[in-house]
Amino acid sequence: MAQQRATRLRTWSAFGDLGRRPSEYEVLTHGMNHTMGATPLELPPDAHGNRWLREHRDGMALTVPDWDAFRDPDRVTYGSYVAMQDDRETYVEGLLERFDKEQHDERLTAGRLDLLALAVTPARYLVHGQQMLSAYLQQLAPGSYIATCAAFQTADQLRRVQLLAYRTTQLSRAHPDRAFGIAERTTWEHHPDWQPFRQAVEEALVAYDWDLALVAFQLVLKPVADAVLLHGLARRLDTVGAPLDSLITDDLVLDAQRAARWTRALLTFLTDADPGNRAVLQGHLDTWAAHGTAMAAAGARLLGTSDIEATALSTWDELLAAGGLTRPGTPSA
Amino acid sequence: MLLTQDDWYETSRDLDWTFSYVDRAAAFPTEWTGAEGIPEDAWEAWEEPFRVSYRDYVRVQREKESGVKAVSNALQRAGSYDQLPASHVAASQMHMGLITMVEYMAVTMQSRFCRFAPSPKWRNLGVFGLLDETRHTQLSLRFSHALLKHDTRFDWAQKAYHTNQWAVVAAKNLFDDIMLNADCVEACLASNLTLEHGFSNIQFVALASDAMAAGDVNWSNLLSSIQTDEARHAQQGFPTLEVVMAHDPGRAQRIVDVAFWRASRIFQTLTGPAMDYYTPLDKRKMSYKEFMLEWIVDQHERVLEDYGLKRPWYWDDFLYSLDNGQHAMQLGLWFYRPTLFWNTSAGVSRDERAWLNDKYPQWEENWGVLWDEVIRNINAGHIDRTLPETLPALCSVTQLPLGTAMSRDRLAPVSLVRDGRVHHFDSEISKWCFEQEPERYAGHRTVVDRFIGGEIQPMDLPGALAWMGLTPDVMGDDTDGYRWAREYATESKATESKA
Repeated sequence: MAQQRATRLRTWSAFGDLGRRPSEYEVLTHGMNHTMGATPLELPPDAHGNRWLREHRDGMALTVPDWDAFRDPDRVTYGSYVAMQDDRETYVEGLLERFDKEQHDERLTAGRLDLLALAVTPARYLVHGQQMLSAYLQQLAPGSYIATCAAFQTADQLRRVQLLAYRTTQLSRAHPDRAFGIAERTTWEHHPDWQPFRQAVEEALVAYDWDLALVAFQLVLKPVADAVLLHGLARRLDTVGAPLDSLITDDLVLDAQRAARWTRALLTFLTDADPGNRAVLQGHLDTWAAHGTAMAAAGARLLGTSDIEATALSTWDELLAAGGLTRPGTPSA
Repeated sequence: MLLTQDDWYETSRDLDWTFSYVDRAAAFPTEWTGAEGIPEDAWEAWEEPFRVSYRDYVRVQREKESGVKAVSNALQRAGSYDQLPASHVAASQMHMGLITMVEYMAVTMQSRFCRFAPSPKWRNLGVFGLLDETRHTQLSLRFSHALLKHDTRFDWAQKAYHTNQWAVVAAKNLFDDIMLNADCVEACLASNLTLEHGFSNIQFVALASDAMAAGDVNWSNLLSSIQTDEARHAQQGFPTLEVVMAHDPGRAQRIVDVAFWRASRIFQTLTGPAMDYYTPLDKRKMSYKEFMLEWIVDQHERVLEDYGLKRPWYWDDFLYSLDNGQHAMQLGLWFYRPTLFWNTSAGVSRDERAWLNDKYPQWEENWGVLWDEVIRNINAGHIDRTLPETLPALCSVTQLPLGTAMSRDRLAPVSLVRDGRVHHFDSEISKWCFEQEPERYAGHRTVVDRFIGGEIQPMDLPGALAWMGLTPDVMGDDTDGYRWAREYATESKATESKA
């Protein structure tokens, strides 16, 4: 056998005829899900993992000829993610130092502390739910571009959990007479205005079909919860005079906005891929939308300001419109 | 007041609540948690072996990323790749093709922990594992992509797991199982504890050292950087082991014993030949066996014993295999070279042979005689006789050829019949693995089963090569163009003329 001379390529053969040079993001993300064949895993067809993927991923009604055609509008890679988030955390670290010098926490009035105890610190349970749900979207995603967006979103949620834990602990030290660090679980489990959120998280956790999980979490639970408990909350905290938490929340809004950008792009991608996909998503939305409206109303009550409900609904509607979807009871797009 | 990590950390992992809208068991099914038979409160004892804040993680990892990228860019500009030994390049192509996708599979495994692990502490720690493995995937892809301009074979970093190449199928069978099919407990014990803590030390530490010696600073740097993450997140295995040992020690022992053997066979296929045959002789530091004895036997096994695990029942056979399995796989890899996507280094020149005999006193008797036949054929111009015409029978557990686990003196068939189908095994150990959970393996069809079943057409070697996705531009050949065999011809001529 003659020694073969090494041949050369400009990029992955998997790109086929892309007609341009792929970006670094594409080179590092393309075509990494090897489980999309008839038998997903190289195991007996009836192995647990194969049954799960067939039932919950491959059995879904969404039709997409090429899942690897999706792109994250932010084109996030590992390198860009840690660099971007390191900058964000440096900024937050600066906020914490600055406000600590000003004795921010010690100066918080009773009304402001009440708001923080009711609407801010119990959110770590909600966000842990969001972390788990993001990870589920990642592990069943039919393509590595979508999975990678969900992976970074999972990490964003842990960031928020740890910042909430930090603030909870600071507040408990500054106000030992209050129940910061102690009462959050009870508030999350029993306060009536947290229950729509908890119900949505628990029910989304058992929505195992990937398309349903996508709608329940990425199109309902997360956008509405973020609209209320990040966007709305940041404004409310600013208004009542809790600037540190307002600024930290503003920074977390940036993560939520990035999530909304890829979600919007995914909606457009899905509805462009096959016109029938809109009806599939709308069908799931019809069964899940009530959770969203209940969260928007309850969130407004938690924050003590009714206008947040309408703002959250309109932000949510705008996201849904990217896929031509409408909340039941609102005029069709 | 500003806080230290210890001040707030406890709150950040206090995340469980009482479910009331759905059954908690439906949200955490034991088929994914792996917590069946373990009381729910037992997981409160699960303690992270290391504590990481998101803040520190992104800072430290950003620095690491910059460091690796700077070295890589500088070396690419210097054009150092062209000066690397061909056998070393072959080892890096084999590694990138077979391991890059496994890094991505590990992303999904960690994501499973983030969602289904039975402790919120573990679910949080999984996030860092998820990020780490994303890093390792992307580092390996970036490294390989930059080398496409030198050799198409690096395309297999992205492509391999989309093909049916037999070594990929064997690796896919193992990693699909222990990373993507297994519940959290099993995935953790088999992948984090056994594979990463045990074997990745071999793969990354040894290869990084050999790569550096061979002058491949770029790859060495990448492997070392990956290892710094692995060393951290591989430790997720220990708290899980501790909880399972307290409640179901038999299960822990079984999972680890099965995973240890399956992993050792895959590493015998990948790392064994790379260390004992591909690394240039003057750059070798230790043999595969020496590395295994130091890292696995002296370090990993001792740690496991501290947790109350016994050595696997097949320990003596494992040690026997350490003297033979990688040599059998090397002979097989070289002989079946057209079925590979990397070139194979024979690694049996006179000097290399002396090294092999020094490291493995039975090498000549067990393997040298077979290479002599190969050498005679090469020097007689019968390269065709050193090439395969058929496929070898494969083991139903490891997917590796029968006869490649032990020496050529231990070839007695090992098989069993289940539901009318005969399953063959490369060893009594693989048969034992099968018997632990027959349903886990029995329904899978090996490459040879598919060949015999008519799935591969035409039913000949070219048909099989096409089915495996092997094209002439990547198909393996001898890295040295058979020049290494000439010294044997010269010597035999000299002997003849003396006579």
